[in-house]
Amino acid sequence: MGGLNTTLLVGMQALDATQGALAATSNNIANANTPGYTREVPQFTENEETTSGSLVSGGGVNLEGLQSVRDELLNLQIQNQTSLQSSVDMQSSTLQQIQSYFSSSSGDDISSELAAFSSSLSQLSATPTSAAAQQGVISSGQDLANAFNTTANGLTSAQSYADGQVTQTVAQINSLTQQIAQLNGQLTQTATTVNDGGTIEDQRDELVQQLSTLTGISITQSNDGETITTGNGTPLVMGSQSFTLQTTTGSDGMQQVLDSTGKNITASIQGGTLGGAIQVRDQTIPGILTQLNTLASQFATAFNAAQAQGFDSSGNTGPNFFTVPANPANAASGISVAISNPAQVAISSDGSAGSNGNIANLSAAVNGALPSGSTPASAYASVVFQVGTAASNATAQSTAIGLNLQQLTTQQGSVSAVSTDEETTNLILFQTAYEAAARIVSTIQQLNTVTLDMGTTGGY
Amino acid sequence: MRVDPNMVPDMLAAIQQSQVSLNTALQQVATGKSVNVPSDNPSAAANLVQNTIETASVDQYTQNVSGVLSTVQTADSALSSVVSSLTQAVSLGTEGANGTSSTSNQQAIAVQVQGILSSVLSQANMSYQGAYLFGGTASTAAPYTVNSASPSGYTYNGNNDVNSVQVGDQMSVQVNLPGSQIFSNANANVLGSLSSLVSALQSGTTSAISTATNAVSTALNYVSQQRVFYGNAESQLNSQETYLQQETVSLASQQNSLVGVDEAAAATNLNQAETDNSAALAAAAKVLPDTLLNYLAPPT
Amino acid sequence: MYTAGVQDRELKAAEYLQSLRDLAQELERAMHAIARNALAEFEESIALQQSLCGRLGELARELSAPLEVHAEDMDTWLDNDMTNQIQAASGVLQKLNLRYAALLQHSSRSVALMASLFSSFKGQFQEASGPRLKHQTWSCQV
Repeated sequence: MGGLNTTLLVGMQALDATQGALAATSNNIANANTPGYTREVPQFTENEETTSGSLVSGGGVNLEGLQSVRDELLNLQIQNQTSLQSSVDMQSSTLQQIQSYFSSSSGDDISSELAAFSSSLSQLSATPTSAAAQQGVISSGQDLANAFNTTANGLTSAQSYADGQVTQTVAQINSLTQQIAQLNGQLTQTATTVNDGGTIEDQRDELVQQLSTLTGISITQSNDGETITTGNGTPLVMGSQSFTLQTTTGSDGMQQVLDSTGKNITASIQGGTLGGAIQVRDQTIPGILTQLNTLASQFATAFNAAQAQGFDSSGNTGPNFFTVPANPANAASGISVAISNPAQVAISSDGSAGSNGNIANLSAAVNGALPSGSTPASAYASVVFQVGTAASNATAQSTAIGLNLQQLTTQQGSVSAVSTDEETTNLILFQTAYEAAARIVSTIQQLNTVTLDMGTTGGY
Repeated sequence: MRVDPNMVPDMLAAIQQSQVSLNTALQQVATGKSVNVPSDNPSAAANLVQNTIETASVDQYTQNVSGVLSTVQTADSALSSVVSSLTQAVSLGTEGANGTSSTSNQQAIAVQVQGILSSVLSQANMSYQGAYLFGGTASTAAPYTVNSASPSGYTYNGNNDVNSVQVGDQMSVQVNLPGSQIFSNANANVLGSLSSLVSALQSGTTSAISTATNAVSTALNYVSQQRVFYGNAESQLNSQETYLQQETVSLASQQNSLVGVDEAAAATNLNQAETDNSAALAAAAKVLPDTLLNYLAPPT
Repeated sequence: MYTAGVQDRELKAAEYLQSLRDLAQELERAMHAIARNALAEFEESIALQQSLCGRLGELARELSAPLEVHAEDMDTWLDNDMTNQIQAASGVLQKLNLRYAALLQHSSRSVALMASLFSSFKGQFQEASGPRLKHQTWSCQV
């Protein structure tokens, strides 16, 4: 849902916990660290209090210097959870997109069209000589084929998107590791000054944080600086040196990720947007697609065989009803209806135009068990269940990790300020608009009674 | 005023959670469904697939029952008319075979029986919604045509096959008898016997008329027996209709329990979700003024 | 045949149906405008909604008024199909209105809160902007 509230929420989610930016501080605040962790703790000396009439003001403090307080362990935990969250979010958003193809609300998904196809056959069996009923079978067959096509195409396009993410993410990773290495180099030079490189370390931490959203990382410290590797040990940054990752097109047309020596590390990447994209592209979607392709292929074969057991209106053996591409990987995306002449629906069992005797075979192909052991409906239901469970799990995981992260990031803070005048003006304008809108809402409610009464009283 | 940053994540979580609940409640009120995408309830979504198929089947069966019933009733009424015609023919034949009947009387009766024959022929060739009812499965051409070379004077163009229509998952009903069984079988030939009666009346030979009349009588009995098939089919279909009505209700109720939402409950949930959300925002507003302010971006 | 009165009625009913659909569309538009904080578009949509409501009220009055029935009018009842469509469109509109109402209630409460916060905190914020101010000079005021 929209509204200022959503904007608010989005902002809140993006925001690390803020510390009070309130200028009106008390002596307590000035003299003590703020509760929780701070990135930098000012070293203060206290000024004397002054009295002015009945008001006592604290003298405030002077800033002596800065010392960064870094909780490395905290950073690591946050990076870890951040990687996980990015990966899960990537999977979750992809699954949300995919599962819309498996929802029956629109009425044109595979289950709805399968039901309609079955009905059209039954209708034809009741009126075997009706041209309209014959055409009905062709049309609903086409709708069913379309449903398979659309669903499969939806899956492959989600896969393409994930593939694009792989390329993009690797480029971003390389850019970050270069920058991090550079900063590492600077840090080793400034280690000896009083200001302990606070700003540079901050920048580097920020970059490492960003890196962790892209892929899972592992960090170790040494005297030469930081070493960052991927989760399974592929080096990304060692001190002031960075190692680039490369992508190359694999045999399946998808981007493979190589380390700086050319070794293929695609399968071992976990976490981050990159890990999530690879997981979705190489595991989740192919799993679903395979089942869909099997279903399309077996169903078409079974139905064509049933056609061949009967005769069309001219007394010829029933021709193939469906065409499936030769490549099994394209079964669902390519399935189509092979006949356009309604008279070629092979409903007859004795060659005469008015017989419906072959309905048993045709119906068995649609409603009976396929070679896989399940009926088309139950095979499809099983896919729906898988997709739904995967999507729901991903969302739940995302929420759980999100909450976890919030607790972790509570110690990190940033300070921000904002100008208030513009916002206040807009608020008031919005308020006025909302009041007007609310009046219309009740007018519309009243309209309902009026509309219902129309047409029920006489005298039109 | 002191700000406790540690309160923030709890507030964020509370607001986020209440927002999710609010969105869900809003969607349920708007759509009347608790399951709109599979992840809402994966097992309900999977069960819904079956329910969709079954509901469509039952709807189609219901239509089939109604369509087939009309066909069967039409056929039955045609046969009823044939029975009346044959009864009349028998009585005319009996009159004609009576020794007291004059030649001109017999001629007149012959004409009447000829008329009956035409009428019975058109009943035998009855069609309903473009399909001939008594041709077996060869329902696209008239079953009986004149053929002087044939003993009965008519040729049967149909076949001996029958159609059955599925009106339930486990139930099929045979919907026709072939004309060859009703009108032109080996034991009783309706058209042939009427033709013979006409000829006999025209010839004026009492014994021939008598024999012909008996043949018509046999045919009449036979047709009456055959009619029973259609009567039975009708009762089967009627009781199936009742059963299907119950099935429809039960499937709809199953669907509702899978994915439907109780409108009153949904409305209550919505109110509660709104209250919770507002409370969370209000609580946050009291302690996080600057946080709120950060995110009122001016409209672009 | 139908007299002019009945034909006119059919036209009005068609306009009623279209207006119901237009109003539903405007509600959607308004909700999107709220989501994007697009004040100008929101205000525009409200104005349109007002005029649509006005027209609907007028039409409803005219359609409910008694009609002089003539012998030539075979049937003075509104087309059954039209009535069904109107009822359906009305249903959709009411559902949308419910969502819209919830959103408005929701958003306006938050706005009211924020407006009051603003007025109480005005003047106590730093004017400087920027996401991270690493260097703070803390001074004390009461």
